Amino acid sequence: MTEQAGGARAEWLRGLNPTAKLAAVLLLGAAAMAFPSPVLGACLIVVLFVVAASSGMLAPFAKLMVGFGIPVTIMLLFIQGCYSPANVTFIADLGFARLGLEGVMSALQTVVTLLVFLGGFYLMNETTYTGELVADLTSRGLPPKAGYLVLASLNVVPQMRRRMATIQEAQVSRGLDMEGSLVSRLRATIPLLGPVIMSSLTDAEERSMTLETHGFHLNEVRHTSYVVVHHARADRPIVVIAVALFVVSLAIRIAALAGLIAI
Amino acid sequence: MKIEVKNLVHEYIPGQRALDGVNLTIEGTEPLAIIGQNGAGKTTLVKHFDAILRPTSGTVVINGRDLSELTCAQWAAQVGYVFQNPDNQLFLETVRKEFEFGPRQVGMDEARIEKRLKHVAELVGLADKLDVNPADLSPAEKKFCAIGSVVMMDCDVVIFDEPTCGQDLEGNARLERIIAALRDAGKLCITISHDVKFVTRCFPRAVVMCQGKVLVQGPVEEVFSQVDLLKQSFVVPPPICRVALGAGMSQAVFSVDDLVERVRKERNNCE
Repeated sequence: MTEQAGGARAEWLRGLNPTAKLAAVLLLGAAAMAFPSPVLGACLIVVLFVVAASSGMLAPFAKLMVGFGIPVTIMLLFIQGCYSPANVTFIADLGFARLGLEGVMSALQTVVTLLVFLGGFYLMNETTYTGELVADLTSRGLPPKAGYLVLASLNVVPQMRRRMATIQEAQVSRGLDMEGSLVSRLRATIPLLGPVIMSSLTDAEERSMTLETHGFHLNEVRHTSYVVVHHARADRPIVVIAVALFVVSLAIRIAALAGLIAI
Repeated sequence: MKIEVKNLVHEYIPGQRALDGVNLTIEGTEPLAIIGQNGAGKTTLVKHFDAILRPTSGTVVINGRDLSELTCAQWAAQVGYVFQNPDNQLFLETVRKEFEFGPRQVGMDEARIEKRLKHVAELVGLADKLDVNPADLSPAEKKFCAIGSVVMMDCDVVIFDEPTCGQDLEGNARLERIIAALRDAGKLCITISHDVKFVTRCFPRAVVMCQGKVLVQGPVEEVFSQVDLLKQSFVVPPPICRVALGAGMSQAVFSVDDLVERVRKERNNCE
């Protein structure tokens, strides 16, 4: 979310147009979801790994994907594999339950789709300044108010976290013990929520006044932005490939549903 | 009281030094001002005096005890810190509860809390607002509420970060009284300030910081006499001081009376 995240390593990803990146992430995720087998999603995950490696983000990317992927896979495989009502073909007997092929495939489909979305959004987030995305979307016709909503909601969490840290710091320096057991830490945190919420509300009020004084609510005026929006030659091919993949996946899914092809 | 800082380095982001090897020894209880441009490292430095921040490298030793031996909450009994923004510090329903919070955390007995409450409330000018919610105080009063809640803890060192910010003449006069009261009680008061007039009025000694290092330190008269060094840190001496130095006087003066006195003396010397 921050501009310096990823350092200079992720230059080529950073140079891409933010809307193109967003569109590619959404389309690839949707393609993985639409394709009637987890194979496409698995391939896309491999592609995402290659992209992460080429931008020098392999280590954190792999950590995220494995850290999220393994527990989710185990959980879904267990639940859907053993207990999905679609199960007819059983591939293993665990004793207490039998593992069904249909459930396993549907679990894998869900996992790869989630991972494609997760990995895609991670790479995008790490290499895109949110302000740039919103400026680009606004210039493409998104109402500035909606753009602001996106920006504000993306910023509110880190902002509250920062404020929480400051307030905590101030209380610890007055002798409030934030170390020790989970319970004592929780008990110490609860009274601090008041000022965090209060000051967030004050912030929101001040921000809306600032927007007002900057003429943000003037409807007939076209908004301009200082933010430089990147465009790259690769933008178009990337989006075209993503659209094509999505359309083809969707077509295959429809064909499979209609019984034209067997998967 | 003795605070020894040796080769203190602090990096918020690896590779970017907010403090770049600070060496400083603060002895005694004479009030000390820390001045310097924004980003010079003043706040970062003082946040090491009660372990809110931990050094990236180097050491801080307070009264012979290394900073790392205790947690920030444990240091709180010895070093009090008033944050720049009182909104980050105040979170209880009444001024009275704010005043009682710190002392209770560090284990002060109730009788003593009661006794100090009266004295401190008087000192910070909130004696008749003890049952008011701090959120309903004026910004200046909030600041004094925050100051009072830390002074209540009776720490040996009290740190103020930009206390003059947002204060009017009356508020500044009250601050001066608080700093004098701390000095008289044998407490070391360390204050970050941009207000050089305030500094020269209340603080006999000062440390000037610039780009994460200590540039000059010593008695204020000496510090403000080093015009060339001060220029590096963009600290401008008070007008009366600039007049005196511009007229060729060797030592800084900080009040009209002092200037008149000095002029008279020099004139007598000439005759």
